[in-house]
Amino acid sequence: MSRLAPRVLVTSFGELMRRGFEGIGEGARFTASAARAARDVGDWVPQFSAQARSLGVGSIPIGIFIALFTGIVLALLASYSVGDLVPPYFVGTLVQKTVTLELAPVLTGLALAGRVGANIAAELGTMRVTEQIDALETLAFDPLSHLVVPRVAAATLMFPVVVALAMLVGVLSGWLASLTLLDVTTDQFLKGARIFFVDFDVRYGLVKAASFGAAVSLIGCKAGLETQGGAQGVGAAATRAVVLSAVMILVLDAFWAIIWLSGRTLR
Amino acid sequence: MTAERRKNDFVVGITVLLVSVLVIATVLWVKQASMRGSTNAVSVRTRDVGGLALSNPVVVRGVRAGRVQGIALGDSGWVVVTLAVDKEVSLPRDPVVLLFASSLFGEWQATIADAAGLPADADLRAHIAEARTRSDTLAGAVLPDIAQLTAVAGRIAGDVSKVSNRVQTAFDDEAAGELRGSIRNFAQLSDELAKTVRKQSANLDKLSGNADKGVEKILSAAATIDKIAGRVDSSTSKDELRQIIANTQNAARELVAATTRLRTIADSAGGTQSRLNQVIAQADSVFAKVNSKRGSIGMLVNDSRLYTNTDSLIMELRALVADVKKNPKKYVNVRVF
Repeated sequence: MSRLAPRVLVTSFGELMRRGFEGIGEGARFTASAARAARDVGDWVPQFSAQARSLGVGSIPIGIFIALFTGIVLALLASYSVGDLVPPYFVGTLVQKTVTLELAPVLTGLALAGRVGANIAAELGTMRVTEQIDALETLAFDPLSHLVVPRVAAATLMFPVVVALAMLVGVLSGWLASLTLLDVTTDQFLKGARIFFVDFDVRYGLVKAASFGAAVSLIGCKAGLETQGGAQGVGAAATRAVVLSAVMILVLDAFWAIIWLSGRTLR
Repeated sequence: MTAERRKNDFVVGITVLLVSVLVIATVLWVKQASMRGSTNAVSVRTRDVGGLALSNPVVVRGVRAGRVQGIALGDSGWVVVTLAVDKEVSLPRDPVVLLFASSLFGEWQATIADAAGLPADADLRAHIAEARTRSDTLAGAVLPDIAQLTAVAGRIAGDVSKVSNRVQTAFDDEAAGELRGSIRNFAQLSDELAKTVRKQSANLDKLSGNADKGVEKILSAAATIDKIAGRVDSSTSKDELRQIIANTQNAARELVAATTRLRTIADSAGGTQSRLNQVIAQADSVFAKVNSKRGSIGMLVNDSRLYTNTDSLIMELRALVADVKKNPKKYVNVRVF
């Protein structure tokens, strides 16, 4: 038994590694398949606007809600943390930079991971367990081009829209909070927001949002299509989609930071 | 289905359009970018840009007049900075661009100033001179960064720290003991000084006694002087002094009168002298004539024959007179009727 224990440990570690790489490989393979299916434009374009409205326009309220309170908290946090150390206009700088670069994309992405990812996984999972997808396949319809591509395209396009709106609302609410709750004037806030503003900040946030949208929708679609069993399987798929989407959002956030921000200055 | 799809298309389209317009407008507003082309692009050549970044303000005479539009590496180690300057802004006569930190928090700005008003910094002026071109590109230079100044201050603080460490090292326990001993010696010295003072105080008492006697003598002398003064005062009171002064005044008046007379005499003497001068001058003239053998006297004086003749004449006159005396009738014949 004592001689078997190391072998079991090594085997378990190997299995874990295999599953990890297997998941990455499966995800890559699924992404490649979806990309190939995007060539069937006639299959997914008719459904694009419906998915865009459902996943994007329908997510705007939650994005605005999150950004609204994020901006207020950030303004107060900036004043509380460094209020006596730096000029008051730095509240504007901190709110603008933090909302644009990080909080609007990530917080909105995480919120949409729950809403969109779970929605997609549950919808496709239900279709899978009710054999609707099997029926499509039987009728020679490609489920990827009919079900996955329009969702992925809609999420990839609409996530930046929601995040852009969240950026505006976040900075606006931070401004209003500075005016009403702090001794910061409009001129001071605008001065701080403008001093270090570069349009790269917005581009960076929107590109991140687009990648989050693609990741969340792909993970949701894959989880839904791989659903097994009944309602329990649908629930498990939705949960797995949300968790994986959240993790992937943070991984992508770090990825883009390393790619774009590492060694980069405001110049 | 088609109506539903169109509705979806419209909703998605309007949402994307609205958000895109909002974001672009906000970015342009925050960047203070102009869509009407109301700025002029001004190129600046400099060796370094320090901490200057895009969108940093451009300042003319302390007023924001644009922003930094571009920063790019140029040829031969130069950096070319493009400034978007408002069109209505007039640049100085000889514009140069100074890049420097406008606060301690990393904000930089590009200030367009006249070259004549540059700070008296030899390095800065050398950099500006080096960056000058014959084209419209302005010369630029970086002023010393606040970070550099703080680095210098940091080095100074380090030096001070070293000095204080050395002082601390030098002022160790041994030095403290020596200082304590010195203080103890000083205490002994002060005790001895107190004893000396105590001894000398007796001498001082004697000296003060002598001084008292001296003072008494001075007082008696003062009394004597006082008496003399009283006498002088009494003599003054008996009008003797006034009499003396009156006599003196009379003597002075007489002296003045004598002086007046003396001046009159002197004036008369002056007149006499002038007359004497005239007499001398006339005599001189006479003598000159005599010397020049003019006139009877001159001839008489200068011609010996005349003298001889005269002498013989006188002798003959004498003989004649003697003869007349001797024989009056020979010469005087008086007849009556």
